[in-house]
Amino acid sequence: MSVPKSASIVIIGGGVSGCAIAWNLANRGIKDIVLLEKDTLANGSTGRCGAGIRMQWAAEKNCRLAQYSVNFFENGNEILGYERDIEFEQSGYLIVAANEKEAEQFKKNVKLQNSLGIPSVYLTPEEAREIVPLIDTSQFVAATFCQKDGHLNPFHTTDAYAKAAERLGVKIFKHTEVIGIEVKNRRIESVETTRGRIATNIVVNAAGGWSKAIGAMTGVDIPTYVQRHQIMVTEPLEPILNPMVMGFSYNIYIQQVPHGSIIMGRSDNTEPLDFRTTSGWKFVEEMTKTCSKLLPALKTANVLRQWAGHYCMTEDAQPIYGPTPGVEGMYLACGFSGHGFMLAPATAQLVSEMILGEPLTIDVSNLDVGRFERRELVFEHSVV
Amino acid sequence: MGDRRITDHPILDFDEGEVIHFTFDGKPMEGREGDTIASALHANGVKVLGYHFKTKRPRGFYCAIGNCSACLMIVNGKSNVRTCTEPLLPGMVVEKQLDRGVPDDV
Repeated sequence: MSVPKSASIVIIGGGVSGCAIAWNLANRGIKDIVLLEKDTLANGSTGRCGAGIRMQWAAEKNCRLAQYSVNFFENGNEILGYERDIEFEQSGYLIVAANEKEAEQFKKNVKLQNSLGIPSVYLTPEEAREIVPLIDTSQFVAATFCQKDGHLNPFHTTDAYAKAAERLGVKIFKHTEVIGIEVKNRRIESVETTRGRIATNIVVNAAGGWSKAIGAMTGVDIPTYVQRHQIMVTEPLEPILNPMVMGFSYNIYIQQVPHGSIIMGRSDNTEPLDFRTTSGWKFVEEMTKTCSKLLPALKTANVLRQWAGHYCMTEDAQPIYGPTPGVEGMYLACGFSGHGFMLAPATAQLVSEMILGEPLTIDVSNLDVGRFERRELVFEHSVV
Repeated sequence: MGDRRITDHPILDFDEGEVIHFTFDGKPMEGREGDTIASALHANGVKVLGYHFKTKRPRGFYCAIGNCSACLMIVNGKSNVRTCTEPLLPGMVVEKQLDRGVPDDV
């Protein structure tokens, strides 16, 4: 099947961001949208992520982006007309503070979150144990909890967006790789793929880990890089851990999925900065140590398997949204640094508004690609 | 017992080990030294080791090398024990597992 000769907008990347952007634009009546994916949908970071959805952030912008997205996911099946279920389970996130300094920051976070209407609460370790009976209260000094946080099925969510987009006329081409982008007079002219050339003036770079390679095709350096992140899974167990448990200085997120398996992940700055998706022993050793410290009962749970995926990182661990200086028609939606899945509805809304020149639902003008050159980085410390 | 055991093998010798007493779902049973829990149960004619937590279909002796999870049972109160590779010890209390189980301290 060859690609159409022309398109109004070409979206590169069949992860949740690309599919959500395609649906959002089509839902506004835009015709002739083409989405290109070099592999299968959700094959990159989306399908390999920890699947957590949370509104408990330290930076107001992230709170707002996440809040917008949670509101969307709560009605996602209906909005997208999905015949299956995106499986949004609002079983909550419990975030533990390992020391007083972190606890002070958490108080500020909750105040900010509450001011925006996010129903998070600040808890003592004893109150936290009422929510997570398995937790060792001697291992942390305070916690925050938000019942409206939870988890969501990445495959179904991407599928829901893709199917809804296709019903609105979006043409999705899987196993179709972008091999070149023609730029004339600093303006996008066409996209060359393994299935033919598409004339277009607008390209959305939602290629995640490959966003840098796509940028390079237009002679622009997109300051993203990939980093491997590993996850491991226990055998399925009876329901014993309801909310996601997370710690920033503990460097852990851990959650029991509906099937019964407990999945957990962490960050490691010594992880390779390339496209490897191999698994390693070091991760299992460190992960099980942290997990057994915080949730001692889990130390006898058997580990079933591991997998790995990539974060598409930026220097300040924040997404890049917006046009590309020097290449008219190239819009960026990349560099999500590990939280692209949970922000997809906001991403879709904002990138669509940027392309159509509409006022932004949430002001993300400081998340432009130019911030790295201007050295106006926007750090968010509440990340694992 | 005995009729399900190989006594005469062209290559391997099977020395009859000491008798080991254990219980299965409350019933007293005998195995032999050198048995795994599942091999002792098999020798006693027990073919159903548990039921799948979701489909409730019976699970039996399958891979016999600790890989497939078909033989997960509760042993001395501990769930998810791979009985096909776990050595049988005197006085073991072995039970069928009907759900996904929980870690020891829960």
